[in-house]
Amino acid sequence: MPTAHEIIVRGTPVQMLRDGSGPPLLFLHGAGGAGRWLAFQELLAKDFSVYFPSHPGHGGSRAAEWIEHISDLAFHYLDLLDRLGLERAHLVGASFGGWIAAEVATMASHRLASLVLIDPVGIRVDGWIYPFLFGMDIPEIVTTLFQKPMAALALAPSDQSVDTLALQYRQGTALARVSWNPYLYNPLLRRRLGRITAPTLLCWGAHDRLAPLAPCGEAWAREILGARLRVFADSGHVPHLEEPDAVAEAIGEFCRLREGAR
Amino acid sequence: MKFYYFHLMPYIMEHDAPSSWVTLSNRHYDPVMGHTLYNQYLDQLEQAERLGWDGLCVNEHHQNCYGTMPSPNVMAAMLVRRTTKAKIAILGNGLPLRENPLRIAEEIAMLDVASGGRVISGFVRGISAEYFSTGVNPTHSRDRFYEAAELILRAWTEEGPFPYDGRFYRYPYVNPWPRPIQKPHPPVWCPSQGSSETVEWAAKRRFPYLMVFTPIKRIAQIYGEYREACEKNGYKASRYQLTVNVPIVVAESDSKARELAKKHVMWVFNVGLRMHPPFWRPPGYMTEASLRRLLANPPKLPSELEFEEADREGYLIYGSPATVRDKLRVFSDELQAGILCSGMTGPSHEQTLEMMQLFAEEVMPHFRDDANVDETAGVGR
Repeated sequence: MPTAHEIIVRGTPVQMLRDGSGPPLLFLHGAGGAGRWLAFQELLAKDFSVYFPSHPGHGGSRAAEWIEHISDLAFHYLDLLDRLGLERAHLVGASFGGWIAAEVATMASHRLASLVLIDPVGIRVDGWIYPFLFGMDIPEIVTTLFQKPMAALALAPSDQSVDTLALQYRQGTALARVSWNPYLYNPLLRRRLGRITAPTLLCWGAHDRLAPLAPCGEAWAREILGARLRVFADSGHVPHLEEPDAVAEAIGEFCRLREGAR
Repeated sequence: MKFYYFHLMPYIMEHDAPSSWVTLSNRHYDPVMGHTLYNQYLDQLEQAERLGWDGLCVNEHHQNCYGTMPSPNVMAAMLVRRTTKAKIAILGNGLPLRENPLRIAEEIAMLDVASGGRVISGFVRGISAEYFSTGVNPTHSRDRFYEAAELILRAWTEEGPFPYDGRFYRYPYVNPWPRPIQKPHPPVWCPSQGSSETVEWAAKRRFPYLMVFTPIKRIAQIYGEYREACEKNGYKASRYQLTVNVPIVVAESDSKARELAKKHVMWVFNVGLRMHPPFWRPPGYMTEASLRRLLANPPKLPSELEFEEADREGYLIYGSPATVRDKLRVFSDELQAGILCSGMTGPSHEQTLEMMQLFAEEVMPHFRDDANVDETAGVGR
């Protein structure tokens, strides 16, 4: 079982789950994934010291007014690495968390033992417009994001109390602040992806309907030099929830190799 | 009491789509029908002046069949040249929805100068759905509203040119031509849903507060909060700062009026305001405190409102002239509202005009003890 911690990152309080031993691995969650320590994290913790913070405004972490742009979140995680005293770490990000991870990698690849992006958003891809999740109700969102709808149950709220609804609103607000328009991308990120020198693994659900393998996954694979692309045949946008064993295994293998190479 | 004729300019239609806003396909819009409607609606507004209404109201909404006035200033411009006495109340321009709010300062000044000072300028944030139609980030809505409002007020009142450097809006030269003819600037109104932040903001600046389509109990509560906020700011609210928009149906008998109200007013709530639930609540449009207040006492969605409840809660007024007079006394005497901004909808253009005439002859004269008062003196600026 992970332990819960509150740490202060340059004045911003953050809730963080932590478990496992081995080389440090920082996991950045997607929208709705805050504080959800599931089979995927459990598997990673067998080989790594897993650090799983909630983004400001998500999960138990208080909203941070100073975060206005996706780069603010990237700097926040560089500060978090400093706060944890981690000179180098494996960085794994899913969806929105993958976007933040990619931003971090364009700034400071030398801090990353490896970079793993699971169905990231964050770049503009010709011929594709991300479906507007903010305009969807829950059933539409589940259909868009999941190939295995049952996997979405892991993210379902425990109740419909005012506190729970307020938390969801706070999470949506924190997300919208940095992603409403341009929707789910930073116009500057794509050309900066060439700066990423950390060994990179792209994990992609074959049936992602938010950011489909073609053209999105293929664009990421082209832009990041030497990136490896692994496709998960039974997954939509969230393969680490839909096929946690296969994704954790792929990540473990990739990261262990990079440990050995050092 | 002062009477302003309020028009939504709806595109009245039935449909099975989940939302009348944002996603209702514009293939349903027939421009030839639209041509007829626009001209009938403008005829109604012009007729309202002739029948004795003190003001004519237009407003801004986007991408829906509820109200087809994406640019209220365009409609106001048409009215300015076809009327001579009535105030032209634009209720309002959605300030945060504009990338260049100086354009609002310019357009309102144009209308004010052309009309000889008859313009009232409503400042609104735009309702939740507009943020899906315009792409503006709803988490910026409140801050953009305040910033744009201050910028527009400065542009109207300070000699230009001056530089402006805000969080959302930046200009090396603010120097709009023309300047408004009303001094220090056209009256500003705040049409709103009653968020406590907006009540405070409006009361502090003496901006009249307009409650739209709200049950009577809530109007009474918000008016109370507004009056209190005025007193905290060291003055007593004028009754012309308390305005209300409630749909009215008047007919020769109560039963006839009830039948019309049930069909035509309820269309506004049940169809016109039918909205896909996510469009009601874009992230960050409300403060978390406002959201918690709302969730603690969740209001009924307009699309689920039934006529009996709407009637009981005072969402609308209908009846014979005598009944309507009695119901209006609640607004004029109990709520002490100074201005009634109401539109009327009959089954046809002709019947709407007849209804307006009936109201003007049988109802309005009974509320005219303030006929010689200028409702804009000292308020809204």
